[in-house]
Amino acid sequence: MIEALFAQTNYVASKKLLDATVLRHEAIAANIANAETPNYKRVDLAPTFAAELSRAIADKSVSQVANLRPQLAVDGSATAANRDGNTVQLESELLRMQQNTMAHALEVQFISGSLSKLRSAITGRLT
Amino acid sequence: MIDFIPGISGTAAALNAERIRMEVVSQNIANASTTRGPNGLPYQRQQVVFETVLQQRLSGSGSAGVSPQSVKVARVLPDTRPARTTFIPGHPDADANGMVKMPNVNIHEEMADLITSSRTYEANLAVIKNARQMALQTLAISKH
Amino acid sequence: MNVLAAINSYQASALSQVMKTPALTAGAPKISGSDVLELSSIASGQGTQPAAASKGAFSDVLSQMVREVDTKQHVAGDSVNALLSGQNVPLHQTMVAMEEASISFQLMVEVRNKLLESYQELMRMQV
Repeated sequence: MIEALFAQTNYVASKKLLDATVLRHEAIAANIANAETPNYKRVDLAPTFAAELSRAIADKSVSQVANLRPQLAVDGSATAANRDGNTVQLESELLRMQQNTMAHALEVQFISGSLSKLRSAITGRLT
Repeated sequence: MIDFIPGISGTAAALNAERIRMEVVSQNIANASTTRGPNGLPYQRQQVVFETVLQQRLSGSGSAGVSPQSVKVARVLPDTRPARTTFIPGHPDADANGMVKMPNVNIHEEMADLITSSRTYEANLAVIKNARQMALQTLAISKH
Repeated sequence: MNVLAAINSYQASALSQVMKTPALTAGAPKISGSDVLELSSIASGQGTQPAAASKGAFSDVLSQMVREVDTKQHVAGDSVNALLSGQNVPLHQTMVAMEEASISFQLMVEVRNKLLESYQELMRMQV
């Protein structure tokens, strides 16, 4: 019964997306840290995660969403700009990081909003 | 230590590595005209070699998948390119033909390295700033 | 006469049951599973068969809720412990777990308040 309170598809999906966003930040931080390392290949979230998440949301299946596991993978589509084989481009990494931070803010706001809505429904007071 | 900011140890290692590189570059620039060192030879340019380091901990969900890697300065190598020679007849270190062996330091290369290094340093600082912002937002989940 | 005697005996037994549990009369904020079960048995009384069946179901529901709230508290507590001891728990998971545990607990407290209120309302009724 208590679990049913927190079993909305939106809410569970945004929690999962928050996991993925934090993981992605770690990947981008590692890429920027290794921007000068010879032969380093950039890593990012495995591209299957986004597709799986949207399919699980479309199916409205909470258990499917809860079973997803975001993972990091080496980015196969990145090409080396230099002779030393490093595939990190600093500008695009910084841009991705900014977008990731905005996504994080959105997800945190959605989760906080859901929880405070629940709280006002339970206590009957708005704040 | 509580890990508020994800991936901070890798970024800290990168800042350290870039700082070491900048120190080596400034040492090269300072010694660009040193014709005789403690070993009697002209100064030899130093260069740093970066290497990835596997981070011991992986945050949260990630038993499978690639783990993010940190960076370190593996070696500081002398540059083995031959020294430049210049014709300065009256120089104390000139040889029989008046040629002086100058260090193999190219100022333009060093300046380019310096710019790249400080750009990467600033990028890592931006990573830390963003991570801090994310951590503060996360703490605000519980605020009501 | 018989009906009046029956109602009086119901009242007497209900009052005696209330006197037995000091936590209720002291108005302590702490609530345990046994308190809630007492409340549910008083509220449904020794009534007719349908009332007895619903008493069983309702007290089951209540004890289930207490168990689930307890589980949520344990999960949150474990998460905080792991975070404090420096293990690999992501910060956002701990924050969300804490908030969910708090909301579940608040729900249980509100249910208990409503039950108490309805019991007192019942006791105030003139015979």
